[in-house]
Amino acid sequence: MSGLSLFVQQSINGLTLGAMYALLALGFTMVYGIMELINFAHFSVFMVGTFVALYTFEAFGIFGQSTILHGLPLIGVLLAAFIVTMVVCGGIGMSIERFFLRRLRAVKGPASMITTIGISYILSNSVLLFIGGQGFNFPNPIPPVRFHFGQAVMQVEQPLIWVVSAVLMLGLTYFVQATKLGKAMRATAQDPEAARMMGVDVDRVILTSFFLGSALAGAAAVIFGLYYEYTNFYIGFDAGLRAFTAAVLGGIGNVPGAMLGGLLIGIIETMTSQFISTNWAEVVIFSILVIVLVFRPAGLLGRVAPNKS
Amino acid sequence: MSTTTAGAMNAPSQASARRKTVGLSLLFVAMLAFPLLPQTGIPFFVNLGGQANVDVLSTTISYALLAMGLNIVVGFAGLLDLGYAAFFAIGAYLYGVLTAFQVMPHWSGFWEPFAYLGLVHKISMGGAEVVHFTLSFWLAIPLSALCAALFGVLFGFPTLRLQGDYLAIVTLGFGEIVPIVFLNATPITNGAAGLNGIQAPRLFGYNFGVNSVPYYYVAIALIVAMIFISIRLRDSRIGRAWMAIREDEIGASAMGVNLVNFKLLAFATGAAIAGVAGTFYIAKLQTATPDMFNFNVSAMILVMVVLGGMGSVWGAVAGAVLLSVLQFWFLQDLTSWIHTFGEMTGFTYLTKLDLVQSIDLIFGVILVVMMLFRREGLIPAVRRSPNLNFDAQHAVVQRGGFVGKEKLGRYTAEPGNALEIKDVTVRFGGLVALNKVNITVPSGSVVAVIGPNGSGKSTLFNVISGLVQAESGSIKYHGAEILGLAPHKVLEKGIARTFQNIRVFPNLTVLENVLIGQHARLRTGPFGAILRLPGTRAEETRAVEWAKDIISMFGNRLAPRVAQTVSGLSYANRRRVEIARALASRPKILLLDEPTAGMNPNETLELAEQIRDLKSLGLTIVLIEHKLDVVTRLADNVIVLDHGEKIAEGPADEVRRNEEVLRAYLGRAAGEAAHAA
Repeated sequence: MSGLSLFVQQSINGLTLGAMYALLALGFTMVYGIMELINFAHFSVFMVGTFVALYTFEAFGIFGQSTILHGLPLIGVLLAAFIVTMVVCGGIGMSIERFFLRRLRAVKGPASMITTIGISYILSNSVLLFIGGQGFNFPNPIPPVRFHFGQAVMQVEQPLIWVVSAVLMLGLTYFVQATKLGKAMRATAQDPEAARMMGVDVDRVILTSFFLGSALAGAAAVIFGLYYEYTNFYIGFDAGLRAFTAAVLGGIGNVPGAMLGGLLIGIIETMTSQFISTNWAEVVIFSILVIVLVFRPAGLLGRVAPNKS
Repeated sequence: MSTTTAGAMNAPSQASARRKTVGLSLLFVAMLAFPLLPQTGIPFFVNLGGQANVDVLSTTISYALLAMGLNIVVGFAGLLDLGYAAFFAIGAYLYGVLTAFQVMPHWSGFWEPFAYLGLVHKISMGGAEVVHFTLSFWLAIPLSALCAALFGVLFGFPTLRLQGDYLAIVTLGFGEIVPIVFLNATPITNGAAGLNGIQAPRLFGYNFGVNSVPYYYVAIALIVAMIFISIRLRDSRIGRAWMAIREDEIGASAMGVNLVNFKLLAFATGAAIAGVAGTFYIAKLQTATPDMFNFNVSAMILVMVVLGGMGSVWGAVAGAVLLSVLQFWFLQDLTSWIHTFGEMTGFTYLTKLDLVQSIDLIFGVILVVMMLFRREGLIPAVRRSPNLNFDAQHAVVQRGGFVGKEKLGRYTAEPGNALEIKDVTVRFGGLVALNKVNITVPSGSVVAVIGPNGSGKSTLFNVISGLVQAESGSIKYHGAEILGLAPHKVLEKGIARTFQNIRVFPNLTVLENVLIGQHARLRTGPFGAILRLPGTRAEETRAVEWAKDIISMFGNRLAPRVAQTVSGLSYANRRRVEIARALASRPKILLLDEPTAGMNPNETLELAEQIRDLKSLGLTIVLIEHKLDVVTRLADNVIVLDHGEKIAEGPADEVRRNEEVLRAYLGRAAGEAAHAA
């Protein structure tokens, strides 16, 4: 392949990965924006989501890549997979907040973050113990249609992923900007105490942001499965750390920032893998994380800084 | 009478100290004797001694070393490091690369001196003469400590400015990068296959080889040394500074702790211990692969520290021992019992169960359960505060200021102006918090700053003490510019402060809080703290005496509570601790931000008289105060701020009648309404 074709090819792949990272990054950014908490459990909620999606497909009788659907059944199955996974993940996220983190909200220091690390461990190792540690073939009922741009190839999944991500992100933006609960959410991010005094039900706002963030992680999980046709119990860590980097790069707490950061990280990852080496992609991404945090902690689009005094 | 109470308080603590010494000695002897125990062949716990168990104990001790190192970073200094295994890896690979048959350059004259020192050997390989590195294990121990500490500083320097959570994620990133670099640097590290044939230590010609027993004794020597170092550091100026940072960064820097240096020191110390553990671990294992140092290791060490109790030295050891016993003995034995049971009863499911695999799940459960139900860990770092008797609890309102104020010594007030603030402007985004403010504080005087809420009073203190940057202007302390100095430098110069919303160190005792006030006046460094030579010991004794002197000046209020943690004190007493802490730094200027807030009239009067005492000793005082009777009583000069501007200045009575001031306090609208009517 020529250099240009490689570049086009990796741009297509990078945008796809980036869309997934963006969805995942939104969960980090919303929770951080409101609670100033790095939610490590988000990694594992995403991973559990891939298994939920896998079992949903299998419930429809779709195993591996052999069952190909067309037309309405395809749309129906995909829709079902997305909805079920998003609801289940959203529910897990809400339970984590309701039963664990809420008790620790008043506690100063790293207790909440350590708890999310613990929950992350519990989720991923439960999958290891009760489902298994091997790699799982992820079902994909989408017909293997390919589009060619010169020598670069685009699979039909890729534009589909872009559309789904765009719809979800627009939906979230609308929710945060235009609805009453969204406004309450922004108010809580600015100053939870003042928001509470103005009649905002802060508990409900936090619960909602956990639901939305985790549901988006669920959507990212379906996308991960369809794209890689594979999952296992530890995929959450690598993808999660990249998504977190994306959130930081865009400006943590900043919703459009997470989307931008996600796309950038996706493209950086594919380009590094292509033009430097796959081995160093991770090092490059983590170096970006460190550099951004050190030199521009507010990220590209600026942090919605919770006022800490 | 006071001697008897002191005696009564000391007696049980001496007895318990003796019990502790005896217990530890017994434990030590038992550990030394462990490899000599016979193997009985009965499974689980009774089957002590023997190579395999001795080896497991050595591994356990390696983990305990790591847990203690991480405890310094996370527990003492409060810096959450999620990539601690990186330093473990660095120590391991340093020894591994310099002793394995991996990096073998061609032999040349350059290597002769190293060969003479025994660091390299000439060997022939495929006909060619090449260099084989043979770094001595005993040399590698300090070298890897140094090297890991260096990387600790390298990683720490750019990141330690970040707040807690960000630090965690950056260290997580470093923890990921380091093993990946070792994985990809194949020519040096042999990549995923790892280093093999790492040299076993030798001592006086005796090769440790694969015999577990000598490693075990080295491990015991290391752990004893590290416990000793940890405890010495904890109970010193260094440890106090770390804990001050953990408790309240701003308060710590305002009391003279250089945040960057002390955070780096904690990071480097923790890293050095991990480096030593890495070298030991790899010398024992004689092989090293990158996946031995991934996030799971960092997480496991964190679980050990959390389980034992963050900040607790013995807790870290206990956490490491418990979790190692769990994963190396208990789960394995339990699994084999279940397998046997399954075979006997015919349940095939049971024969396939592997509980050892569930160890990470158990780690997760431990983290969550500890955080929800016992955050202080199994062996908490914070000692229980002794109970107070009735006399001690019953505070008597003091009249006539401090008890024995002469203990503080006289402050020879230098002539001239202590503080000259010229045209200082501070801006927060669009808001002008201070606008070209000019204030002069003559040496030895009391200047009060008053003004409505939001008028810039606290910002004024923050800019003097270096917590807030000014846009323009100048602040001169006895003629020397101090604007732009870091908070700890300002304190070193002799300007101490208290905070409106009290920034004491809640989980430390009254005595420790006041000792931290002396941080800038003491010289003990990390090596001094560990060796505790006579000079250091004398300095520490003097510091404690001076702290107790200052505490005793507050009479019955603080004196009985020296050993109490500050979190349990009343609001007024916490204010007194903060003032005592500031006085302990031997300031020339004391900045008091609403010292009487939240005090009842009697307590207010008591404090006002104490402040007057300080003035009579020659101390210069700047006071932010809302209670005008206190201001009238104390102040030589009153400055009135409103919306960041100085609107009036003069003696208290004069300022009280000033129209601008009245308008600022009563409001423009109210004034105009009155005028229109």
